[in-house]
Amino acid sequence: MLGFQQFGDGHLQNYKGCKWPFSMEQGGDNMTKKTESRLVFWIFLAPVLIAFVMVMIIPFFLGTYYAFTNWTSSARADSTLKFVGLSNFISSFKDPAFFYSFGITFLYTVLNMIAINVAAFLLAMLVTGQLKLKNVYRVGFFVPNLIGGLILGYIWQFIFNNAIPSLGKAIPFLNFMADPNNLMLSKNTTALLAMIIVGTWQYAGYIMMIYVAAIENIPQELIEASKIDGATPWIRLRAITLPLCAQAFTVTMFLTLVNSFKQFDVNVSLTSGGPSTMLFGQPILGTELLALNIYNTAFISNNLSIAQARAVVFFLVLAIISLIQVYVNKKKEIEL
Amino acid sequence: MTVVVKSIGGTSGGMGPQLKADYAAGDMPDIFAFDGLEAYKEWEGVILDLSNEPWVKNTSVAFKYNSKIFGFPVAVEGWGMAYNADMLAKAGIDPKTLVNYDGYKKAFEKLDSMKAQLGINSVVSMAAAVEMGWVTAHHNFNSLLSNGLPYGDLSVVNALLAGNVDMQRLQEYADWVELLFKYADKSVLLTGNYDAQVGAFATGKAVFLHQGNWTDPNIKGANATFKMAFAPHGSMKKATDGIFVAAPSFYAINKESKNLALAKKFLVDLAGTPEGAQYMVKEAGMIPAFSTIKLNPDGQLSKSVQEWAAAGKVYSWNQYYFTGDFRDKVLTPIYNQFAAGKITKAQFIDLMAKAFKDNAKK
Repeated sequence: MLGFQQFGDGHLQNYKGCKWPFSMEQGGDNMTKKTESRLVFWIFLAPVLIAFVMVMIIPFFLGTYYAFTNWTSSARADSTLKFVGLSNFISSFKDPAFFYSFGITFLYTVLNMIAINVAAFLLAMLVTGQLKLKNVYRVGFFVPNLIGGLILGYIWQFIFNNAIPSLGKAIPFLNFMADPNNLMLSKNTTALLAMIIVGTWQYAGYIMMIYVAAIENIPQELIEASKIDGATPWIRLRAITLPLCAQAFTVTMFLTLVNSFKQFDVNVSLTSGGPSTMLFGQPILGTELLALNIYNTAFISNNLSIAQARAVVFFLVLAIISLIQVYVNKKKEIEL
Repeated sequence: MTVVVKSIGGTSGGMGPQLKADYAAGDMPDIFAFDGLEAYKEWEGVILDLSNEPWVKNTSVAFKYNSKIFGFPVAVEGWGMAYNADMLAKAGIDPKTLVNYDGYKKAFEKLDSMKAQLGINSVVSMAAAVEMGWVTAHHNFNSLLSNGLPYGDLSVVNALLAGNVDMQRLQEYADWVELLFKYADKSVLLTGNYDAQVGAFATGKAVFLHQGNWTDPNIKGANATFKMAFAPHGSMKKATDGIFVAAPSFYAINKESKNLALAKKFLVDLAGTPEGAQYMVKEAGMIPAFSTIKLNPDGQLSKSVQEWAAAGKVYSWNQYYFTGDFRDKVLTPIYNQFAAGKITKAQFIDLMAKAFKDNAKK
């Protein structure tokens, strides 16, 4: 975070000092210069701002409005847009599948955050150490992030359903893997674990890059001094590396939290929300995360306005959680 | 005039979202497909009445509602239990005995005892993963709704929609589901996708396949050379000598289209010109829904469907009288629980009965 601000300030100073190529007047008074730079500021910002307003701000408010109506986006004979108050929210909270999705999403998010960050940090330690070909490894670990989540889900579905059992058949002491009862995607607990494996595989490389940048920014003097003082690698990690990566933790925690909570594509292609499970005596989908639940509510159940209401709840919960997370991490940054 | 075709891929779930997005964007296509009554209701306001089109008299499977024609049948499709005729012959099983529960039970037991001889992994290739809910909660579910009834008979559907469950019929149906799950390959049943399910049959690892004639190109792609055909479902104690045949989806014309005349002509030409016939039957490999088209598809299972249809031994597709929500979100997990052995047959029956009762209250 700090690094970014420095960059911004430097930039600002630079352009104050230079002359704009398209500035017609030479050495105009301070006032016009200010208006001019303000104008330039908005012109440069405009493309992004317009896109942002069109695809984020307007749909956001429109969607929030639809959450209080009976909107369907279809041509039903009886479809006149009516205001229905909170009934979309109330029916959502009465649906056990929605509750279950909330719970399973929290669980997935927590486990996934831990798995990704631990894996990413270990990988970062590895590729910043004395390793031959470390740049090759960095690229290798990063590449899964470039594969789209849907394709990734299908690839891993093949691995879990076909490759692993085949391996089990070929290698005698891995026989248990060939047993259909042990297929990871056949039970909802292990299917959730499978989603975490795939999520980690996909995202750890990206988070690793952030840790790599943080670790490489640690002043070498500190490391050398600690070595002279006889610190073991473990103490060095705990007393120097971890505290000095605190800013990186704020960013990585935020990214992994938001990404896990919003998980959709791997969920669709890897498990489609299955296998099923029982809740309050009612069979429901066992790995249907919130985003998929909202999608299914909209497009399988054809309840667009209820889905919209759930999306509003989803937004509020995620916003609150991530604000808390950033607040806590920021406090930790100062403490460490 | 260029015709722009938007292909939304092969999944059953892809169509709805695309249409909704197009509709919300004011970009509804001139012609679009829908699969039955529930989908028709979703788009009722924009679907044009096609009762006076010239192709109507040449088909018996157009989509009718309130005695008006609203949908052009895309094709005729059918499913039953696809069987590997060579293997049945080897096991000495006459496919003609496969018309009820007992016939299937005997055949399955015999085939199961000959696994090594036949080189199979399992007797049936059945899929019950959540992803494959359309096999269980759409197609298999239809056995409960229409097997053994006259074509177009909605008595069972209407009773179930009203929450009145015929327990005898449901129990016999549950026996059938149990039989299919019991003799299926566990990994295909619980985690297999479409490719895994069809692949097991096409490569001779299963004698039966619970799918329809749309698998012809996939089976051909796997270089299968054995003889195959459809047998009826055995979901009842009494003999039900017919398979499920209907138009799987219909083309509707968008009332608000700017190209109404051209859209109508497109459908007229599709049903009435050699080019249209060539496309539907030979290129898309579908069974034509129009008596004026004399071409026949090449696939063995498609031919089998045509034979059953020609003999008039057909039962209707009634699953679309239930909402997508009910089939995919309520029934699919029930089948999945049963397949995984997490609930007993008695619990399966209870949950199904409860699902119908809850559905009727909505």
